[in-house]
Amino acid sequence: MIALKALSKNKFKSLLIFTSITIAVMAIFLISSVSQGIIGMYSKMIKTDGDIIITQKGIADTFFSNVDIDVIKKIVKINGVKSSYAMIVGASPVGNMPIAGIYGTTKNHMSHYKLTDGVYPNKGEVILGSNLASQIDSDEVKIGAKTFKITGTFSSGVGFEEGGVVMNIKDAGDMFSRSASFILVSALYPKGTTHADNIDNLVKKITTLNDDIEVKTTKSFVKEYNQFKIIENSSLVISSLAFAMGLMGIASIMSMIVNSRKEEFGIMRALGKSRAFIMKNLFFESLIMSFSAYLFALVVSLGILEILPHIEKLQGYVNGTLSFETALYVLVSTIIMAVIGSLIPAFIASKTDPILLINQGCS
Amino acid sequence: MIKVKDISHFYGDEQVLYDVSFEIKKGEFVFLSGSSGSGKSTLLSILSTLLKPSKGEFLLDSLHAVCPSGIEDIKNIDKFRQENVGFVFQFHYLINYLNVKENIALAALDSKKQNIDKILHDLGILDLASRYPNEISGGQRQRVAMARALINEPKIIFADEPTGSLDSKNSTIVYELLAKAVKKGTTVVVASHDMQVQNYATKTIRLLDGKLQ
Repeated sequence: MIALKALSKNKFKSLLIFTSITIAVMAIFLISSVSQGIIGMYSKMIKTDGDIIITQKGIADTFFSNVDIDVIKKIVKINGVKSSYAMIVGASPVGNMPIAGIYGTTKNHMSHYKLTDGVYPNKGEVILGSNLASQIDSDEVKIGAKTFKITGTFSSGVGFEEGGVVMNIKDAGDMFSRSASFILVSALYPKGTTHADNIDNLVKKITTLNDDIEVKTTKSFVKEYNQFKIIENSSLVISSLAFAMGLMGIASIMSMIVNSRKEEFGIMRALGKSRAFIMKNLFFESLIMSFSAYLFALVVSLGILEILPHIEKLQGYVNGTLSFETALYVLVSTIIMAVIGSLIPAFIASKTDPILLINQGCS
Repeated sequence: MIKVKDISHFYGDEQVLYDVSFEIKKGEFVFLSGSSGSGKSTLLSILSTLLKPSKGEFLLDSLHAVCPSGIEDIKNIDKFRQENVGFVFQFHYLINYLNVKENIALAALDSKKQNIDKILHDLGILDLASRYPNEISGGQRQRVAMARALINEPKIIFADEPTGSLDSKNSTIVYELLAKAVKKGTTVVVASHDMQVQNYATKTIRLLDGKLQ
């Protein structure tokens, strides 16, 4: 109870610590959540309706991949294949927007984009994601050097797509000078074999169809995709640095505040209170403070992550996902640093003669 | 009660006490006098176990401290202090986030907590029980500090300039309370510039430049 009293009576100091911890925790939550969100959105795009992905051999990014679309004709003849479609993924200025995602796809995949308005596009036509559509008030839109007729609006639940344009794959092929960025294959659930075995067999068979293709299950593709690794690693470095700085800040503030309370510890020692009593109260103060600031930061971060996809200017591209592991890791680190930051100076102070602590507090 | 033998103390290279030796008997009201810088506050801090002396030894009730490291060798010095020693400082040193009653409860042994209201009543500050230190006057704060020093009925009370920040009326109240404790058998040692202490003291120890006069 003394811990609670100390926190509530020293409101300014408590608020300072609370704010520092909140900002530090929010920094790591938002940085890591947004990067996890980017990976999550792209993974969802690839994994939906696809068990196998076919890209150009040896390329580092699907943006640079060029696969012969005619491979689809051979793929659909293989026993165990349910369907196959091709996509071109690119980016280009769209209307007044400096950049937006362009998704060219075959007709059999158009139904993936649920129309909220209008009809699916033919050649020379496009449909717009709901976020992008809210910013374009016209029947036509200029994409790159060409003008397209807008025939409808769609929603897919994927932020990247909601902020982009879907068009016929031939139009996209002309725009980006390629046949297809990748081909996706859905497998059947055949009797007498498991789905996973069927997919593995299909990967082997499709690989033999063309020397210039690389065939992977979408699961292993997402796991090994270089762009995801770059995003993950860079976000890990940035968020770790932000968090480390935040944690050092927390430890410093806790340490400064404990140092400013030397007089109080000296008085308590003079009154016969043991070092353990003082340390225990500081421990609870740190625990209460760091845990409540953590909870506050968690709630605010979740609120921000909920709002981000709905901000028109961001076109739905910034979409955060906060994992349980990240939340737990941040909780443990925050509490440890806050407790260390307060207990170390308190431990050092507890070894000093009480009257010296009282006099230091006065100076 | 207190037996001091050849106590010396240094702050860095500066020596502030020189081989001080004396005895204080149980129930005495001792006036530790001397000018500013004479070493009386340092001596009081050493006797009350709040400061380890650089050299010498002393006997404080059952506590035998051989210096400089001796006090730390005695187990539970904190408990010894709580059970046997009361303190009154010039600036009261109440904990700002605890109210009057909680400040006294912080110092009180479990067996003495039921006496808090009585002691507040005896000192005329029962109505201040739920107030915080910044909500009461300097004289009232010092009375709270007195209540805190008396709550465990200690064998010895050390007071360092207890009236330094009080007017004469409140100073008299403090000395009367200390004198009352002496009548009950408590030993009181007061370090002060205030010559009014002489009216209550049964013994005076004078320090000049860290030496006994």
